[in-house]
Amino acid sequence: MQEGDILANAPLPEGVGEKAAKLLLEGEKPLFSITGDLNLKGKYGNSAIYITDRRLLAFDAYHEGGVFIIALGDIEDAEVKRMYGNAVLKVKTGGRNLDVFRFTYSVASLADAAAMFAKNVAAGADSAEEFETVKATFEKKKSVCPKCGRVLIRQGAECINCASKGKLIKKLAKYVRPQLKVMIVCLILSLVTTAMALAPPYVTKMLVDDIIPNKNLDGLVTLVISLLLIYVVQYTIGAVRGYYMRITGDKIVAALRNDIYEKAQYLPLSFYDKTSTGSVISRVSGDTATLQAFLLRISQEAVIQFFMMIGIIVIMFVMNWKLTLLSLTPVPLVVMGATFFGRRISPIYRKIWRRWAAVSSILSDTLPGVRVIKSFTGEDRASEKFKNYNSDWLREDTKAALLSNMFPAAVTFFVTCGSLLIWGMGGRLVIKEPGSISLGLLVSFISYTGMFYTPINFFANLNDTYQHALTSAERVLDIIDAEPEQNFGAGNEIKRIKGRIEFRNVSFSFDRIKKALTNINLVIEPGDIVGIVGTTGSGKSTLVNLLMRFYDHYEGDILVDGVNIKEIDLTSYRSKIGYVQQEPMMFKDTVFKNIAFSLPDADVEQVIHAADVANAHSFIARMPDAYDTLLGERGVGLSGGEKQRLSIARAVLKNPSLLIFDEATAAVDSETEHLIQQAIERLISGRTTLMIAHRLSTLRKANKIVVVDKGEIIEFGSHDELMELRGKYFKLIEIQSLSEKIREGREAENFEFTEV
Amino acid sequence: MHERTYIEYDNARITRKEGILLDVEMYDGRVFKDVEARRLFPLTGLKKYITLLDSDGAEQAVIRDLDNLTPECRDTVMDTLREYYLVPKITKILSAEEKYGKLKLSVETDNGPHSFEIKNVHADIKMLYDGRVLIKDSSDNRYDIPRLAALDKRSLRVINPYL
Repeated sequence: MQEGDILANAPLPEGVGEKAAKLLLEGEKPLFSITGDLNLKGKYGNSAIYITDRRLLAFDAYHEGGVFIIALGDIEDAEVKRMYGNAVLKVKTGGRNLDVFRFTYSVASLADAAAMFAKNVAAGADSAEEFETVKATFEKKKSVCPKCGRVLIRQGAECINCASKGKLIKKLAKYVRPQLKVMIVCLILSLVTTAMALAPPYVTKMLVDDIIPNKNLDGLVTLVISLLLIYVVQYTIGAVRGYYMRITGDKIVAALRNDIYEKAQYLPLSFYDKTSTGSVISRVSGDTATLQAFLLRISQEAVIQFFMMIGIIVIMFVMNWKLTLLSLTPVPLVVMGATFFGRRISPIYRKIWRRWAAVSSILSDTLPGVRVIKSFTGEDRASEKFKNYNSDWLREDTKAALLSNMFPAAVTFFVTCGSLLIWGMGGRLVIKEPGSISLGLLVSFISYTGMFYTPINFFANLNDTYQHALTSAERVLDIIDAEPEQNFGAGNEIKRIKGRIEFRNVSFSFDRIKKALTNINLVIEPGDIVGIVGTTGSGKSTLVNLLMRFYDHYEGDILVDGVNIKEIDLTSYRSKIGYVQQEPMMFKDTVFKNIAFSLPDADVEQVIHAADVANAHSFIARMPDAYDTLLGERGVGLSGGEKQRLSIARAVLKNPSLLIFDEATAAVDSETEHLIQQAIERLISGRTTLMIAHRLSTLRKANKIVVVDKGEIIEFGSHDELMELRGKYFKLIEIQSLSEKIREGREAENFEFTEV
Repeated sequence: MHERTYIEYDNARITRKEGILLDVEMYDGRVFKDVEARRLFPLTGLKKYITLLDSDGAEQAVIRDLDNLTPECRDTVMDTLREYYLVPKITKILSAEEKYGKLKLSVETDNGPHSFEIKNVHADIKMLYDGRVLIKDSSDNRYDIPRLAALDKRSLRVINPYL
């Protein structure tokens, strides 16, 4: 990350570093550089910007003399214009906009930081302070490992390739350690079975060379019984070991899943802003299984196969070293052949998998949407699309059929050729020089040679398994090692919140680059009903998210009843807040448990009362299974208005001191809206309430209105005061009144139409 | 909803201003200043349905087909589009290396040689039915193989396992 002693995303292009150093003025301090990948004409090429505490230097062959220099003080504006697949840093000076640095998206966020730095310093901000933001951006937006150049799992993450493997093993050993005793027993058992597996070929030798030619019936019986015993012990131990290994493996994967899931619960929302929930799900399910398989493979199979290999070689050498060397001749050929075919076949299998995934996605897309398909008479189109994808799959699978059959056949062929070699050469020795080796020895050699290829193949493929497991480890540890939500005030529990809320000079940025909230100062008195209004993306939800303590890294203070919310125990604090979301989330459980989610110990009558207050009881009672109705995922089976009322019931049951309400914008008819409004009124009475409000009817209930725009509070006061002001609020209300009139009109028309 | 203004044949004069900004003078007298050209179909319609947006992102007019404009106007718009859309066409695939679940491709493009990483082979390499292949790298940059079959044999062999 460091180029010389300045901050850099990559080494500067050849000659640029020296050129920049020569251009430095006396006392000028270089701060950071960004190496780009396009020239100003949009071709791949070398370019860079070099920023000091006084100037911006842009290096590009298309600048006159190869460099453009501007003093930060001369910059009127600086911005990154994002285009499609590329972006350009534009600097405004002397009223003219100049393109100074062009790049692909790979460095776009760093260029954003540079633009912000230049702009702010030009506007008089302290360069040292602004540089701190740049540093944070470099660290956060570090999407490529500076050591190995590999793209990281997420920006700022540790590179698994360069991470200490010792540390990695230590972290994963935590899951293996509790099972260590069982695993050691299993390992010993496997070594016993491995040793036993080595015996039968030797017994064969004895049979062929000694027992059968000498017609020794007693010896034959003894040997057969011994073999039988060996098999009984071997397979019994095998079954017992298999059973314990399965349990051990399950325990490892269960512990891993528990840890990831538990950790995922306590991760801050900022983690989920960057990581999709789908990816977290696949880490809990798929990656843990891959890791478990690898842990068992490396701790058990690798040891067993190693001993098997050594055992076979030792036995073979003891029996006849010449024949051993001969037997091992085809090994490199077999390994090479297996590796070659393995490399050829695995992309084909992957291709088949991809084609099949495409077919499956058509299935999962179209079958649930069969109503839409029918209503737009799209049956033929849907069938045609499916046929196309299915024939793609068929084509790939047909190709694979050839190779997938050739692959095992070829490996077996090589192995067989190996044994032919031993048969030929060894057989010749048996016939021509009977004293040198016996027939039994030859037969047992053939068996040992066959057995030898199992460990060889195992070790040949171990690297692929390792790579695969390392990728899974990276994804799993990304969650396990992530920083959980900070509970600064742990133990400092509060009994009740009176409801005085104060935002003191609060500023916040999701990425420390662009401010989402700027200098928020706001006082809400106990019992106030505060409507928060503003356009989409203005910062309304962010304000609420900060009060909920979903994000901690804000500047300034938020106080509740005069206490900084960071100093209050997190669980205790959140338990006093009722949060009704815009899109209520229902869990796959009964209606009763969905309401009681906020108070798991609630008795039946408490839940029914809460449902009553929320105007939900009557519709619940009308359902055949009433409170026992099992809701589908995300509350399938309920209308938007019904889900909203259940969500209000949840909040009622919690009896919160402070209420945060994100009003639903979902189109509900006037009657449902009335029921919801009634429920809201009952819920908010006497409680300090913050409402992100969209409807005029809701806003009228608020005694204070906060108008947020571009992350700042631009108006604050009562409805009447703000209407008089004829500012942003007035405009919003005008639009709102108009759209509500239209809606009411439409509903009335619809009503009349239905009546006719 | 206002009626959409379509620019066709010679009903408008389009001139380039600073950067990729354009001025449009319609022959009916209307003037749209400082508009930017954007493709409504950036993947499938490189010359068709080009929308002209003002500084607020509001559409002022739509060019139905660049080839139907006067040659000067067409070239002016094409130049700005070329500048705005950077989707290098891959002409040769030099190597593909998969490590830790990510694919690193080294390629030659009409824009020069380049190397990039793909996070998710399954989602980021899309094969279209007309033989085109669209690729997105880990930084969200785009690449295009206009006709897969036109690549040389070695390139095909290198990319084939990932299609």
